[in-house]
Amino acid sequence: MDELSHVVDALPGLVWTARSDGTVDFLNQRWCAYTGLSLEQGQGEGWQAAIHPEDLPEMLERLRLGFASVEPVEIEARLRRSDGTYRWFLISISPMRDAEGHIIRWLGVATDIEHRKRAEEALRLHELNFRLIVDSIPAPVAVTTPEGEVEGVNQPTLDYFGRTFDELKNWKSSDAVHPDDLPQTIATLRKALELGRPYNVESRHRRADGVYRWFNVLGLPLRDSDGRILRWFHLQVDIDDRKRAEDLLASEKRLLEMVAGGSSQPRVLEELCRHVESTAAGCYCSVVLVDPTGTHLENGAAPSLPASFLASIIGRPVNAESGPCAMASYLNEQVIAADLATETRWAEYAWCPMALAHGLRACWSTPITSASGKVLGAFALYYDTPRAPTPLHQSLIERFTHIARIAIESAQKDAALKRSETFLAEVQRLSSTGSFWWNAVTGERTWSEEMYRIFEFDPAVPVTIEMMETRIHPEDLAAFRERGQRVRNVDSSFEFEYRLLMPDGSVKYIWATCHPRRYDGTLMELFGTVHDVTRRRLAEETLDKVRSQLAHVSRVTSLGALTGSIAHEVNQPLSGIVTNASTCLRMLAAEPPNVDGARETARRTIRDANRASDVITRLRALFAKKSAMSESLDLNEATREVVALSSDELQRNRVIVREELADDLPLVTGDRIQLQQVILNLLRNASDAMSGVDDRPRELMIKTEREEGDRVRLTVQDAGMGIDAHATDKLFEAFYTTKSDGMGIGLSVSRSIIESHSGRLWAVANDGPGATFAFSIPLVPAPRTPRSAPVRTAVRANPERSIGQP
Amino acid sequence: MMVTESLVSVVDDDESVRESLPDLLREFGFAVQAFASAEEFLASNFVSQTKCLILDIAMPGMSGPDLQTELLRRRQEIPIVFITAHVDQNIRPSMLERGAVECLFKPFSDTSLLDAVNAALRVN
Repeated sequence: MDELSHVVDALPGLVWTARSDGTVDFLNQRWCAYTGLSLEQGQGEGWQAAIHPEDLPEMLERLRLGFASVEPVEIEARLRRSDGTYRWFLISISPMRDAEGHIIRWLGVATDIEHRKRAEEALRLHELNFRLIVDSIPAPVAVTTPEGEVEGVNQPTLDYFGRTFDELKNWKSSDAVHPDDLPQTIATLRKALELGRPYNVESRHRRADGVYRWFNVLGLPLRDSDGRILRWFHLQVDIDDRKRAEDLLASEKRLLEMVAGGSSQPRVLEELCRHVESTAAGCYCSVVLVDPTGTHLENGAAPSLPASFLASIIGRPVNAESGPCAMASYLNEQVIAADLATETRWAEYAWCPMALAHGLRACWSTPITSASGKVLGAFALYYDTPRAPTPLHQSLIERFTHIARIAIESAQKDAALKRSETFLAEVQRLSSTGSFWWNAVTGERTWSEEMYRIFEFDPAVPVTIEMMETRIHPEDLAAFRERGQRVRNVDSSFEFEYRLLMPDGSVKYIWATCHPRRYDGTLMELFGTVHDVTRRRLAEETLDKVRSQLAHVSRVTSLGALTGSIAHEVNQPLSGIVTNASTCLRMLAAEPPNVDGARETARRTIRDANRASDVITRLRALFAKKSAMSESLDLNEATREVVALSSDELQRNRVIVREELADDLPLVTGDRIQLQQVILNLLRNASDAMSGVDDRPRELMIKTEREEGDRVRLTVQDAGMGIDAHATDKLFEAFYTTKSDGMGIGLSVSRSIIESHSGRLWAVANDGPGATFAFSIPLVPAPRTPRSAPVRTAVRANPERSIGQP
Repeated sequence: MMVTESLVSVVDDDESVRESLPDLLREFGFAVQAFASAEEFLASNFVSQTKCLILDIAMPGMSGPDLQTELLRRRQEIPIVFITAHVDQNIRPSMLERGAVECLFKPFSDTSLLDAVNAALRVN
């Protein structure tokens, strides 16, 4: 006994021994330490005080049975610790036998199972809570095993599907999930189960009434404390409304993209109808258009309606009688026909029987109205069962009617734009006028079709300035470039002419008008027109030729007339002179000579000779200028006027005029018209002198400057054929000319005008090509010399017979 | 007034001609009357006596050809020598066609004048 007691005492657990009758005779030290009872207190039946009262009766009963049958007993019971708390213990009591097999003792061992017991309890509570939670979730939830077998579903799941649990267990082989979504759902689920990761899949689930709605299925694994998956929970969130809104938005976006991308109106409208049909299940959609006259319906799109049905709508008059779409378009109001079988409207056109024959029972037509309130057409939904639109339908109709309006208006604008472009192109072609636009900042060029045609460039190739220059006539290239340079500094619109030399050698005359646009002083863009004036120019040139021939003829004729008049006036006194002289001779030859008569006739001869001289004097007076007007004038201004007046002619001769007019030029006194005639004459001579120049720019420089001694000087320098240095004086003689068609009067008249202003006109040959003509006049001319005063001696009293009116 | 010599009448608005021509004709031995205009000649008493009429073509009022027409109308067939200061070669043939004896361009020589007057007198 003592020996055993020592062994038992040394055991790490709570151990005790009882006699064969069950009376406890020993409790080890650990037992005593745990319960706080002494060995004496625990012996006999004292140990029972340490057993939880709830557990004791069962324990005693089990012990009794155990002792009676001499079988080992295992009991779970709570033992009171010395501090009064109870802990669960597994109590095992087994018999100890002697060599003969007699029971000598019972050995009891109590193992602390408090931790296990608590875990078990916790799990139980946990499971209870979870089920409650799942059932209380208002959304469908399914619970599966880690392998995916459906273990349970909550009430909302049963309610939504309208199926039994057993039916739902076989969801993979039913239509609970939309057949189109099933493969992906299964694949996603399988993968999630394999990897043990939460998953998320969108699929359509069939509601009890047969309608599929979109769900977002969220799968979550439930793990134990060791991380092992115990179960999967599958939460099904109804996202149908969101999904529809998203689809609708995506449809709208796609349709608007089509419109913006320039898809044709029929394509956009057809796509629109398909979108509507896929969004509102079971409907057929159509769009009809009101024709440009506003009186009849035209086809828009109706991809799902039979052609025979459409044929009986298209072409109908827009009025309240011919059908729902015609009525909606006519009244600019929505027309709802919820049941065509009982509908009484449009009887005159037998519209309802026609629609019914095509299997249609309901029609809702909504006008498509432009921003300005004009009806563009009608948007209609048809059903094969009677029905009226829900608010959802109405919002759908509203949205798609709006898109249809955008599509139709866009197409109409495109058509109007295209018409306008075609018109413009036609006009440009008819008038041989091209237009261009040049962005001075980016260098980008836009040319009209006609512009390409005039330049004979491929419209597919973007034009560069280098390309343009290959077409500019070589003789005009310098002037063209010079214009190009000046563009940057010119503020206002300007025009200029140049020629094109086409690859086939033909020449085109171009009249260009440019308009610069500036911002903050910097050239931003240049736009304008290019007018092919070749035909006009050729006509003008022919006309010019005719005109110059005519001018020559008229000059010859008037010269003839003038000569005739002069001859007549001079012949009269000459006749007298000859006759008198003859008489005189005869009188002197007579015997005796009639000296008195001869003297008289000689006297008359002298008188007639004086008369002839008077005729000549009178002629000179007639051709002399009128008496000069003296006024104060600005030579710069007078020069600018002349340059402006001649600019057309100068440009036509492709002369580049450079003005260098002195800022400090004082006013001069003189005859403005006469001085301008001189300037004009010098400009024309310079221009004419350059007419044969093709190997260099036809540059003309006109310059004014102040000279010493209160004089001003005007210089005209050309780059023409130049003058013979020895002939500079002859230049100013009347009838001296170097021009084939010149009269040789201009320079002599010019010199006499300048001399009448007490000035000087001269010419010098340039160092380079060309000549320089200049005059210099005092600010105030000297008093006139008698020589330059016009002589006005009347030859005869009879004014009717003046020269020129014989 | 009677004249023994053949009467030559000169009609010209130009004073030089009226002064110089009669003197020369007289040197040739003709009797001469000078008139400043056709009207003056018609109004004078010398129309019927005139054997040769030296007539300027261009005159203010009635022109030379006008006077010729008028004389024909009056059946006064006087041989006419036209004179003119206008040098136009086309004038001469047309005047000769109209019945003139000669057409002289001013200034003309004394011999061409004498030839013309003699030719006129021969017509008579």
